[in-house]
Amino acid sequence: MAEKYVGQRIKRNEDPRLLTGRALFVDDVELHGMLHAAFLRSDYAHARLVSVDVSAARNRPGVVAVYTAEDLGDLWKPGPLLVPAPHSVENVVFHQRTQVPLAKDKVRYVGEAIAVVFAESRYIAEDALADIWVDYEPLEPVVDMERALDADAPLIHEDLDSNLCAHLAQEKGDYQAAREQADLIVSRRFLVDRGAAGAMENRGVVADWDEKAQHLTVWDTTQAPIPIRNGLAGMLGLSAHQVRVVAPFVGGGFGPKIMMFLSEEVLVPWGSMQFKRPVKWIEDRQENFLATTQERGQVHDAEMALTSDGRILGVRDVFIHDTGAYDPYGMTIPLNTQSHAMGAYDVPNYYTEVKVAFTNKMIVTPVRGAGRPQGIFVAERLLDIAAKELGIDRVGIRRRNLIPPEKFPYNHEIIDQAFAPLVLDSGNYRLALDQAVKRIGYEEFIKDEQPRLRAEGKRVGLGIVVFIETTGIGPYEGARITVETSGKISVATGVGTQGQGHFTSFAQIVADQLGVDVRDVHLVTGDTAEFHWGTGTFASRGAVVAANAIHAAAVAVRAKTLKLASKVLETPEEELELRDGEVRVADIPRQSIGLGELAVLANPLRGAVEPGTEPGLEATDYFGPQYGATANGAQAMIVEVDPETMMIEIKRHVVVEDCGTVLNPLIVEGQVHGGVALGIGNSYYEKLVYDENGQLLNASLADYLIPSATEVPRMEVGHEVTPSPLNPLGSKGAGEAGAIPVPALFAQAIEDALADYDLEVLETPLSPNRLFELLQGKEKAE
Amino acid sequence: MRLSGEYLFDGPREKVWELVRDPKVLTSAIPGAQSMDQVSENEYEGKMEVRVGPVAGVFSGRLVVSDEVPPESYALSVQGRGVIGFARGSGRIQLIDRGDDTTLMKYEGELQIGGKLAGVGQRLMDSASKSIVRQGLESMNAALQAPATGEEGKGNAPV
Repeated sequence: MAEKYVGQRIKRNEDPRLLTGRALFVDDVELHGMLHAAFLRSDYAHARLVSVDVSAARNRPGVVAVYTAEDLGDLWKPGPLLVPAPHSVENVVFHQRTQVPLAKDKVRYVGEAIAVVFAESRYIAEDALADIWVDYEPLEPVVDMERALDADAPLIHEDLDSNLCAHLAQEKGDYQAAREQADLIVSRRFLVDRGAAGAMENRGVVADWDEKAQHLTVWDTTQAPIPIRNGLAGMLGLSAHQVRVVAPFVGGGFGPKIMMFLSEEVLVPWGSMQFKRPVKWIEDRQENFLATTQERGQVHDAEMALTSDGRILGVRDVFIHDTGAYDPYGMTIPLNTQSHAMGAYDVPNYYTEVKVAFTNKMIVTPVRGAGRPQGIFVAERLLDIAAKELGIDRVGIRRRNLIPPEKFPYNHEIIDQAFAPLVLDSGNYRLALDQAVKRIGYEEFIKDEQPRLRAEGKRVGLGIVVFIETTGIGPYEGARITVETSGKISVATGVGTQGQGHFTSFAQIVADQLGVDVRDVHLVTGDTAEFHWGTGTFASRGAVVAANAIHAAAVAVRAKTLKLASKVLETPEEELELRDGEVRVADIPRQSIGLGELAVLANPLRGAVEPGTEPGLEATDYFGPQYGATANGAQAMIVEVDPETMMIEIKRHVVVEDCGTVLNPLIVEGQVHGGVALGIGNSYYEKLVYDENGQLLNASLADYLIPSATEVPRMEVGHEVTPSPLNPLGSKGAGEAGAIPVPALFAQAIEDALADYDLEVLETPLSPNRLFELLQGKEKAE
Repeated sequence: MRLSGEYLFDGPREKVWELVRDPKVLTSAIPGAQSMDQVSENEYEGKMEVRVGPVAGVFSGRLVVSDEVPPESYALSVQGRGVIGFARGSGRIQLIDRGDDTTLMKYEGELQIGGKLAGVGQRLMDSASKSIVRQGLESMNAALQAPATGEEGKGNAPV
């Protein structure tokens, strides 16, 4: 291979298996004698459990066992806090109230598990749920996050004196002083409502306890198999080596599959150990709405102080974050929001304060974007409003405020989700904006096209926004790479894969180091039997943290290979090259040895391995970044609004992405496409509607609208490359970037399309209905 | 969810009153009703099959009549639950003698639903509940014309 694979737009190694239905998903696991679990879930958002009578269910033929909280013994305890609170910040308040395996005494959201049935089939298990009689004493539900913090609100956790889960204020510079200098202050209230992750594959767990081997195997749709292995071992009283967690192919993660230890993930393995039989639970779509975590849900009172020429002097953002009934994910989401409410801008003064509220709704944990879209929405909206008030062009005001390239690394002086100082490592933010301006044809559109279309009576608008995405946080990932005696390469890493193309982009890195065909690199991800250490796939970190660990291990294997080959070929290492699966003397291609032969020689059957050397052409290495790498980009769209139906059509959508070194543009673009699709959902279609009693009113795909091929436009994707100095590959994450700026982009584009109305979009998601409501009573400016 | 409306019965108020206070008639008239047993003077327990769009299941529930002013008005509260969720509601029914052997019924009430019924059936709940009420009242009006066993009026149509 003369040309390097990294950076090439090569097709994905895993796709032939995925596209022909030959890839293993959790529900494909069928084991002899397997039981099926089903969960009885609360119909009430807030109620006392007076009694739970499972006797009839236990008597149903085919039912093996029915358990309530009372039956779980020592297993019954609140789940682990997955991310602690940032105690390094002064005056931080955090009340840890994590979910329990089955509700005891009271239920705190609709869908909370109350009992579990184990039966010979899922049919029987679900029928048995109908036999269970729960005596509820309904309590007043607390649904609205602002109401939750009222002094007289009913308490969700009665051992606390309020529904305040957490409180955190951070400051950079002196916002109050900056405000006094300002020529203009814009302040608004913004609402970002809830949506679902909506993975194509719901959650699922299959567990198999082998009594004779004293070994538990768990197939789990998790994004983080190693933490799940460690946690389950602890909960079940096993050694980590007695537990193998396999995250096979997973049909989308998007956050809620990270490392939750929700009821099902704990009780299915536990049940398998009780009955010494395999147990399966596959979430159905309705359960997914009621039993899988969700995100967004914040109210912001934000303001921006500017000079008359549009320079930002400071931002103040005071907001409430709705964490739902429990808080297993700590403060990750609001910390991300705090890290993004200054956008991509050089903001010298910043005050940010969050109150996290418990409510009687589903638990909130990160969903693709994870607090960042909320922050970007606030920053971009404030800037749009300021631009209008100052009469400055919206691209102009952005150019004026972007962090200039010479200011990197740029320290924002607050802490981020990794509790590290929020330092933006590198970037040239203007390049992405300029490219987006050019691709969308900003000047021409504003000057010629829009007036022409408006004259035809069309309501067409343009949006253009910039964003950052903090990515690639630690602590670390690792990988083991082995040259097999066949000459093929095997790679094992701890992260799981949910469609990100790891089998290709990671293989490209290895193929470049070892000079092999990328198809000869075989990857195993997400199997704890293959790799023991790691954290998981989240926070857009795979291509940063895992990829650099793989790179480090590949460099080490390359060194071992060259050292051995040098001895065998009696040639200095500097004169050797790795190409086409062999090591050659650079000037004499016929003088060469295959990698497979070298692997045999590295693991001799006779003789002695020299002291200080290891057998095999194998290496394990790790990578942990000093702090997270920050990607950036710009998006632009042209949208047409039908003034009769309020339906919208995205005419064009441009994305310019700078995620540092691009390992495979095809894969990055795929990530962008998926992210934008979610962003479009978060902007105009996907909203989880809770009524005043905490009932989710659109818990089906008939009512909850996920954008389909007709709503998601073809995108034009451009790249800028500013490599991160924080890792050898120079990569930054790209997984969430597509989603992050879209609500802000939509808001601007719709305002522009409806410029003849006095409309300010201060909330997301919108919908045709909501847009219609917002336009009522708005006077036409004409 | 609010439910309110009017219905004109082709019969005198006293007869309509007897009808709407007769659990047997109610069982046969309300679509999906399977049983209704009087457990005390003003309390009834019963079962009803509920079908709202894709959600179907049997509800068991309790109906309590209060504030009775025969033959003019009464208040009622219902509580029902089943595998598909729960419903709780209260309302008031008024019978107005029109003086021409017809009786105008006015009803209004509030219904709160939860569980699968709310999550999946919400979109159809409004039309489904209106349809149940309308079919029930029509069946009762038919029973008023042929007051034998009430069997003719039995409806169980999915809504």
